[in-house]
This record gives sequence, structure tokens and C-alpha cells, in this order.
Amino acid sequence: MSVDFNTLAKQFCEFYYQTFDTDRSQLGNLYRDHSMLTFTGTQHQGAQAIVEKLVGLPFGQVRHKISDIDAQPASAQGGDVIVLVTGELCVDGDNPLPYAQVFHLIPDGSSYYVFNDIFRLNA
Amino acid sequence: MSQEVAAFKLVLVGDGGTGKTTFVKRHETGEFVNRYNATLGVEVHPLNFATDCGNIRFDVWDTAGQEKFGGLRDGYYINGQCGIIMFDVTSRITYKNVPNWHRDLVRVCENIPIVLCGNKVDVKERKVKAKTITFHRKKNLQYYDISAKSNYNFEKPFLWLARKLAGNPSLEFVATPALRPAETAIDPEVMQAMQKDLEEANAMPLPDEDDADF
Repeated sequence: MSVDFNTLAKQFCEFYYQTFDTDRSQLGNLYRDHSMLTFTGTQHQGAQAIVEKLVGLPFGQVRHKISDIDAQPASAQGGDVIVLVTGELCVDGDNPLPYAQVFHLIPDGSSYYVFNDIFRLNA
Repeated sequence: MSQEVAAFKLVLVGDGGTGKTTFVKRHETGEFVNRYNATLGVEVHPLNFATDCGNIRFDVWDTAGQEKFGGLRDGYYINGQCGIIMFDVTSRITYKNVPNWHRDLVRVCENIPIVLCGNKVDVKERKVKAKTITFHRKKNLQYYDISAKSNYNFEKPFLWLARKLAGNPSLEFVATPALRPAETAIDPEVMQAMQKDLEEANAMPLPDEDDADF
């Protein structure tokens, strides 16, 4: 792959959280039918179920602040990238909550989609 | 002058958006010295009350909204000595979830005094009426209508808990805590009507036990 995995991870995360914080109903395009999200312990499979889960979260305002992003190639053939994000998020003006999130990104034409997404609050 | 203060951990739970943080922030001394523990995701509000049996402090644990992502960690409940479960009388789902909060709380904290609070009674479009609020009677909790924004019944849950914790049913508060100014007011007639509705509801027989939690 020509794209450096660290650059890709950084660009992806910036786009992902910016979309999440402004209009999370738009995140569906990043997933496919075989994608899976594990959100604080519950599994959701498929773009539709995933976006329903994210849209249905009972908060209005949300703001993510990334602390660190680590990325590695995730297959011997190259292409896949696995990303670990740690950071803080604030919902509805509350105090910041630490969280960790893993994305497994798969190339799809000139772009990437999220195959695996695992999210946990650390508090 | 130093004085002995009896301190108790008070666990505040309930669905997101029911007004837990607004409620606990009404008490001004608590607001002045609150502390946020970022590791636990908890803000502890120390609320002091002067009683005729001495001073009492409730260390009220309030979340940073993690209940909106799923349940709360056991660490939130551990060593809880009393509890408040809050719902929003303008949102039926928040009352429906009360048994879940109660289950989670008593799983970790067995046999602690718990008050159920129906918040936002200042809102005209009340959805959860007094006669449908029966959960507390089955579980031996105390219930109060409250309105955090108008300070209505602010002290009641704390007084009931203080009496239980002290083992003294006639304990009284001897000073009024400093509260933030009310942001809204409840018409005295409406207040009386609400109290009457509650009294009538409490006099009614409990609904069928088949429907275990409602």
C-alpha cells in the first residue's frame, strides 16, 4: 500500500470523530453488512444495526478528544490497518470520560471501511 | 472549631437526563467544593446538613453520564451506604427503568436505605402520575416528588435517609442548607393537588403481583 498506516489512522480518526460529534447518523457509510461493533459489551452486526445503535445513544451533545492513536498493518498481505485510540469524551456538558476504541480498517477501492469497531469507556 | 461529622456515601442513580446532576448541584456548599475523579468518572458532592443530633455529610456520587453508554461499574456502588434512584415524571421510560437501577444497586449494596425521586414535577405535561408510582411500596423505599429547578422537596430525601442512617425517626434538620435560587416555581395549589394525589395513591391497594415490578 502506498498510504502510510499511521497517516491513514490519523486521518480516519479525525474524520470519524468529527462526523460522530456533528451528525452520527452519517457514520453508516463507513461500515458494511459484515462489520461488527462491540459497544460497551454489546454486539451489533451490519451497517444498519451499527448506525441505529450509535444514533439511539441517549445523549445530544458529544465531543471526543483524542489523546493517542496507535496503528499497525493488520494482515501479511498489507492493506488492513488496526487502530487503537485512547481519549476522552464529554456528553451533554458533563465531565470528561476516558475511553478506548479499536478500529480494524479494510481497503475498499480507493477508500477504507470499518470491519471491526470495539468501544469501551474506561470509567 | 472542629466538630465531628458523620459522613455517608450516597449513590445517585437513574437514567441519563433525569436531572441527577442538576439536583445535586442545588446545594451550594456541595457545589463549592465538589471534586471530579477522572479515573472513576465520578464527581463526589459533599452535602452537609445540620441536625438536632449533630452534623451529617452525604458524599453524593454522581456519574459523568456513563449510564448513557450502558450500565455503571461496580466500583460506583461499592461501599454505598444509602441511595437515591431518580426518574423523570415527564418520561415513562425512565420510570420503567427504575427496577433495573434498583436491582443493580441492591446487588452490590444490600440493605441500604433508598429513596425513589420523581423529578421535574414543575413541568405541566406530567406523564408518570402518582397512582402509577408503586415500585417503592413493594421494595420498602421512600418516594418523593421533587423539582430540582424549583428546589421543591430538595431536603426531603436527605432527611429521610438521615433518619434511617441515624436510626432516629424524629431527627430534624436544624438549619436550612443554602440552595441555589429557584429557576422556576410551582403554584401552591398545584403543589397541594400533587400531595393529595400521592396520599390517595398510597392508600390504594398495590396492583396485581403477577406484574412483579409494576
